[in-house]
Amino acid sequence: MAEPQSKPASIDSFEVRILRQEAPGRASYWERHRVDYEPQMNVISVLQKIAAKATTIDGRSVTPVAWDCNCLEEICGACTMVINGRVRQACSALVDNLLQQEDPNEIRLEPMSKFPVVRDLMVDRSRLFRALEKARAWVPVDGYYELGPGPRVSPEVQEQAYPLSKCMSCGCCLEACPQYTKVELTRLSGETDEEFQQRKRATYDQSFIGAHAISQIMLFNMHPTGKHEAAARLDQLTAPGGIQICGNAQNCVAVCPKEIPLTTSIARAGRATTAHVIKKWFDR
Amino acid sequence: MAEPTPQPTFFQRHEFLIRRLHSLSGLIPVGAYMCVHLMVNASLLNSPASYQKAVYQIHSLGSFLPIVEWGFIFIPILFHAIFGVVIIAGGLPNTGNYPYKANIRYTLQRATGVIAFFFIVYHVFHMHGWFHWDWWLDNVARPLGGARFAPYNAASTLTLAFRGVVIPLVYAIGVTSCVYHLANGIWTMGITWGVWTSPAAQRRATAVCGVFGLLLLAVAFGSWSGPLRTDPEDARAVEQKMYNAKVASGELDPQQAEHKRASGHLGEETAAAATEDSQQSNGGATKSH
Ligand code: SF4
Ligand code: SF4
Ligand code: FES
Repeated sequence: MAEPQSKPASIDSFEVRILRQEAPGRASYWERHRVDYEPQMNVISVLQKIAAKATTIDGRSVTPVAWDCNCLEEICGACTMVINGRVRQACSALVDNLLQQEDPNEIRLEPMSKFPVVRDLMVDRSRLFRALEKARAWVPVDGYYELGPGPRVSPEVQEQAYPLSKCMSCGCCLEACPQYTKVELTRLSGETDEEFQQRKRATYDQSFIGAHAISQIMLFNMHPTGKHEAAARLDQLTAPGGIQICGNAQNCVAVCPKEIPLTTSIARAGRATTAHVIKKWFDR
Repeated sequence: MAEPTPQPTFFQRHEFLIRRLHSLSGLIPVGAYMCVHLMVNASLLNSPASYQKAVYQIHSLGSFLPIVEWGFIFIPILFHAIFGVVIIAGGLPNTGNYPYKANIRYTLQRATGVIAFFFIVYHVFHMHGWFHWDWWLDNVARPLGGARFAPYNAASTLTLAFRGVVIPLVYAIGVTSCVYHLANGIWTMGITWGVWTSPAAQRRATAVCGVFGLLLLAVAFGSWSGPLRTDPEDARAVEQKMYNAKVASGELDPQQAEHKRASGHLGEETAAAATEDSQQSNGGATKSH
């Protein structure tokens, strides 16, 4: 997070342009709002003001803009959106910085373009979470009896693992990735909710798993207990939608708000899958 | 009613393997072949005789040559190109919003790949005419300016084919794209296969691939400038002497060799080349030893 700056000279209000969409599958449109300047606002407080006013720049009264947020301290990832063309968290995007460093006149807000829009700036990130299921991003310790203390983790592994554990599943890395393309399905008439969910999951599973999940696989394959499932995780990385889709553009690492060394994870995953596939080839 | 859950396509099911083979084929054999090819061609800078000798060596493979050409050059290039197109189609370059260096290189890798492909297709037509059927060569390839290279008159036919401004310019752009594509491709390959993993290692790899690319570019422009500095008449005289010696020693059978030699006299070809391009910017005689 950058330091809050002082008030930009001679500004008492600024414009906000928002890409709105009423419902999934509907056409999107730009809407302009004017917001009174206050020191130390973030994009969430801007959105709160806009929702309270619910009036556009030309005086039309409109429905309040919808958005997601939760922690307000850049640890939940819910408020991720595209601000001035770059994906980031709305809660930690400070208005003073945006006006001073990017555009003194206006702030542009768009929903992430790689996920289906639910409404306005809210998107459905279920593909991101499905990828974590596919990646088995957990340590399997559930059982019927006491397993005792887990094995020790060496300081070296801890040092490698800790940065990866900071992922908040925000989706920035996916939004910026040129190889991660949008998958949006619509429910067919006569399809039950369950059938639709199942079809969505199956489609997501064939699309690119994403940098966040590749990195989580490396994290859990490093863990002494998580390791037991290493082969199953690597199988997922070589399955349809696996690591092979990555084109090494390295945008993911450049935009990750948690500064997770994603491309290091990707290269390690490349090495691990190389070894895994060769091993499987000779073991069968 | 319920939509059947989508089944992965053949490509999707084997994409990991195909992508790895795609990555590998870019280096071996395609990239390796390109290095050898550029170095052989750069030998023209030394003398037409050196170049002709190298070409004779390649052609000494005789009837194995097509097998080598198809197995190690054409099929791998086609494989690399076809799946390259599939890969490009699956991405969505976004350097406008994210103008980071690695992202620009990602986009350039795709752009140079496309340029390289069209250039190679043109280059093979320009030099060899794509197919060796007589009818095709006489009625299609040669009238369209293709099939200009004759292996047993290597330097002179190359020099005559390389006249004007447009063709050298096309070659300069094409070869630069190929060299970038290989050098940057080696860098991405190192990540794909997990050779360099840490940011520091990837930075070092960038430097090494950069130096490699510049060296190869120097070789490429060495071979590019060869025909510009060669006098076709001198070259033709040397080639004739070398050919006569090979025939005299029984190494070459003149009947079988005919289709690998330039047809007609040098005068006619020079005239033809001259009408194609009136400015005849011929950089003087090559030094001979
Ligand atoms: S890896 Fe970084 S950018 Fe990607 S989801 Fe996790 S925190 Fe967000
Ligand atoms: S390195 Fe791979 S995962 Fe990361 S942005 Fe590039 S293509 Fe996407
Ligand atoms: S609200 Fe949690 S990251 Fe912004």
